[in-house]
Amino acid sequence: MKKKTFNVLLLSVLLSAFTIACTKDIDFNQIDDFEVTPVIESSLIFLDEPANQFLEDGVEISSVQDSVLVEIFKDAFIKEHLVKAEFVFETTNSINRGIELRIDFLTDSNIQLHSFSFAVEASSTNTPTIFNYTEVFENNTLESLFETGKLLFTLNLKPGPVINENTPGSIKLKSKGIFFLNIDNTL
Amino acid sequence: MKKCAWFVFLLMAVSYAQNKQILYGFTEIPQSLLQNPGGKTHNDWYFGIPLLSHIHANGGSSGVTVYDLFAVDGKDFNTKLEEVVYRLRPTDFFTFNQQLEILSGGFAFGPSYDKNEYISFGLYQEVDAILYFPKDYAKLVYEGNQNNINRPFRLDHLNGTSELISVLHIGYNKVVNDKFTYGIRGKVYSSITNVNSVSNTGTFITVNGDNNAYDHIFDLDLSLKTSGLVNLTMDSDFEMKDITKQLLFGSNLGLGIDLGFSYNIDKHWYLDGSLLDFGFIRHRKHVENYELKGNYVFEGINPIFPEVGSGQTADEYWTAIEEEFSNLFTLDTTRTKYTTWRPIKLNSSLNYAFGKKVSKECDCTFDDSGYLNRVGIQLYAINRPKLPQVALTTYYYRRLLNGLSVKAAYTLDSYSFTNIGLGMSAQLGGVNFYIMADNFLNFKNIYNAQSLSLQLGINYIFTNDED
Repeated sequence: MKKKTFNVLLLSVLLSAFTIACTKDIDFNQIDDFEVTPVIESSLIFLDEPANQFLEDGVEISSVQDSVLVEIFKDAFIKEHLVKAEFVFETTNSINRGIELRIDFLTDSNIQLHSFSFAVEASSTNTPTIFNYTEVFENNTLESLFETGKLLFTLNLKPGPVINENTPGSIKLKSKGIFFLNIDNTL
Repeated sequence: MKKCAWFVFLLMAVSYAQNKQILYGFTEIPQSLLQNPGGKTHNDWYFGIPLLSHIHANGGSSGVTVYDLFAVDGKDFNTKLEEVVYRLRPTDFFTFNQQLEILSGGFAFGPSYDKNEYISFGLYQEVDAILYFPKDYAKLVYEGNQNNINRPFRLDHLNGTSELISVLHIGYNKVVNDKFTYGIRGKVYSSITNVNSVSNTGTFITVNGDNNAYDHIFDLDLSLKTSGLVNLTMDSDFEMKDITKQLLFGSNLGLGIDLGFSYNIDKHWYLDGSLLDFGFIRHRKHVENYELKGNYVFEGINPIFPEVGSGQTADEYWTAIEEEFSNLFTLDTTRTKYTTWRPIKLNSSLNYAFGKKVSKECDCTFDDSGYLNRVGIQLYAINRPKLPQVALTTYYYRRLLNGLSVKAAYTLDSYSFTNIGLGMSAQLGGVNFYIMADNFLNFKNIYNAQSLSLQLGINYIFTNDED
């Protein structure tokens, strides 16, 4: 008799376990709220040149210019998800001339969208002079960045003692871009 | 608020490891021979009801549940996601395994007074998938590299494999003497689709640079191998029969073997064990592999004085760098044949049978059918790309009535320490029905279960009890 009761009990426990299962409220639509905000840092431009790089055939050239074509800013993913960008420059000058760097943001057809420049002071004693500059791209300027197909770099020497082969000192530049992304479930 | 539903339907609806801890050793069920070809059999012959003889689904996630992420608990979804991303380790995984027996059968043979040999055979379809949590990739997407300067992102965190196969098998089981039974099963695998990416290496790291703010060091060696996919995605004339054809006569075939034994230590104690799916599949047709391989260090560009003296313009110099990048990130596609190994499984158990039925004498000395109860401990291990997964089960088995047996199991595994499983086998006339599932403690909210497993099936079994 005892055994029978045991068997019946075991069976009923088993059957009830198999017949119901429960869930608590869940909402898969929460995936709509998905949002991540990675911050990417990347090296941009650099240079490290002695003063005599500003000579051509022994004659000072006070302005050096060059350009590159860039596709990255027009990229659909960037346009969709880049919410802010900062270009951070660290310039170290030990030449006794002030130096200005100017960067122009152009369309493919050379229409200027945006431009900024900064200058590092002359180092009369040839001790390194450091200058930091940050250009922030938000709202309108960010829109300009998205149209940019060409970057024009111009390095200008400010007035001062004329450079020759023996002019001491060098100009160094390091830079990075900080890109703030916002990726949501529109991806 | 709680919602309750009929268990079977709900579980099937959310069915998303391979351990069949309840079926293992459940000798009334013919399919237990697939868990141990050297297991004990009690029937003279059986056949599985086609497509219904063994339905198995098992899904698991070692570190997170559906409820963790999607509970309606007023918490911000992204806060919950962040918590999960940071909590999961690269060894955490998601698995899915499903099997459907298409045909099966078996029969005993040998001298009529002692049919000590048994042949079983069948055809089943299987899906097996595992994906490890790609931790560093998730971290890169989540944070970017800004907070991770000097910290390598490990690309080997991407690791996963998935296969859809059919298995044609035949097994031989022999009772050697009162003590020892062994069995062997040969398998022919036919791969329908296979996707695997298990040998990725490399890192991406951003370090402080000499010339510029940072050096970005790319060391990539990633690969993804596929077979049986190109014909599905590229072939516009694709029809369902292409799949059915591959089910049996596919061009990507493999061979495997199962081995097993049972050993009666004394009247009460017995030991058994099996090694399953020691085999491979050779992928020869419809292969498409992708590779991303290369090294590159990017330190930015020097646009104003590029390559002094080379006469190169800034744009030429930049174009060269762009090309380096595009080469680095261009996928190489190959059609190289490859071989995959099936996930090998090990089962073993030590069992103690007790409690003879008083009213009926048992005349068979070999098997334990005279005992009403069994307790035991089972060990299961499966080889997975990163690490083997191991589960330890203790169980209690009881024969309730003639033809009705139940088994309750408590399992410790990668998913949880609270896995209770239940199974039953009922036989009415020749018809055998069985059902088993695990993780019962989570039935109050199955969304909070890290793994769920279900097997059920119907067979027709003929047993001549007078033997």
